[in-house]
Amino acid sequence: MSCPKTHYLLQEYFSEGLSAVARNELDRHLADCAHCSAQLESVLLAQQDLQQWQEQRVPHWDRHLELFRQEHRIDRPVSRFWLSWQWLPTAASLAMLCVLLFNVNVISNDSGFSISFAGPSASGSNLNAQLADFEQAQRLEMQQLVARVEGRQDSTSVQLLQAVMEQAQQSTADSFDQMYAYFEQQRLLDLQDMRAGYEQLVDSDYETIRSLQQLVNYVGYQSDIR
Amino acid sequence: MSLIDEDQALIASALKGSAYAWEKLVKRYELKIYNHGLRLTGNSSDAMDLMQEVFLGVYRNLHRFRGDAKFSSWIFRIAHNKAVDMNRRKRLMTSSPKFSTDDEGDEFEKFPGKKELEPENRLGSIEQNVRVLKMLSELSSDQRSIVELKIFQSLTFDEIAELQDISANTAKTRFYSALKKLKVVSEEQNVLS
Repeated sequence: MSCPKTHYLLQEYFSEGLSAVARNELDRHLADCAHCSAQLESVLLAQQDLQQWQEQRVPHWDRHLELFRQEHRIDRPVSRFWLSWQWLPTAASLAMLCVLLFNVNVISNDSGFSISFAGPSASGSNLNAQLADFEQAQRLEMQQLVARVEGRQDSTSVQLLQAVMEQAQQSTADSFDQMYAYFEQQRLLDLQDMRAGYEQLVDSDYETIRSLQQLVNYVGYQSDIR
Repeated sequence: MSLIDEDQALIASALKGSAYAWEKLVKRYELKIYNHGLRLTGNSSDAMDLMQEVFLGVYRNLHRFRGDAKFSSWIFRIAHNKAVDMNRRKRLMTSSPKFSTDDEGDEFEKFPGKKELEPENRLGSIEQNVRVLKMLSELSSDQRSIVELKIFQSLTFDEIAELQDISANTAKTRFYSALKKLKVVSEEQNVLS
């Protein structure tokens, strides 16, 4: 069952400008009309569904802060001092360029500074002489140093050689002593062996002579018997 | 100090060049504007674009804000205009036919378009929001805009009418039509779930 007032009434239901009289009339109709109240309920449910929305976190972004800072220099005040000295780097660069282009020589000595442009000058030749003297002095000093080092190395080598020789001599003497003792020991052993051999030989000779005497005696005895 | 007074103070400081005041002002409204864009466009990328355009517009026109109206109304007016511009640009780029013809002169038509409103991919982390976006995707852009302004921004029909340059009765009609459609979608979703 439908109601001809549903569309209009429900449209007005959400209107905030409804008078108190009209609101009462609307409420009375909704209480009496099942169709309208059912329609309203389902519409309100749909609205309730929408209101379930959960606020989502905003992804990170710079909030146009960089733009803001660029356009408002107030947040980054620049000192007047630096503003007034902005020409300094440019001037320094220009000065350096001039120095390079004109080959400027600046000489500092006891009498002060001297500046020359474009190539060698009188000051330059003085500088060359000083450089030659300095080089000569350095060379002499180097030679002395080399000689001193060489001398020190020679004495060290001699000492080392002497030490090696002494050690070698000592070692050789020890070796000779050992060899002498060995040969002496061998000679004594040989003598003992020879003496024992001779004694054995002599004993053997005595036995032989004794046997011969016995044989002679036997032969003599036999001849006597005959 | 009320919120309106705080807004005024922040605006005054920002106009004097305070980046801190500007950031605080943006922080007060970015959540509302971003979620507003999210519901209108259905995806976070377009919502971010819209939010950035809105705050750029606010920044460029901050000196014109006289304080006659609430700052929140002013910013949502800018948001509405930016959304219309964005929709127009998209329509020119795609030049595809309208997908819904519920209302004539629908300036939000094809905004965002059903394909772009694929909530599962965009907002999968919050189930309720997916459901809401599914329901909103069934509305025409004009209806979506009215629902956004009425339900989420709590504007009166007179304010909506002024903002959208339509009559209050048209606003009421569109809103009720939208609710009827939402009712059907909601019932369908309840049946399916």
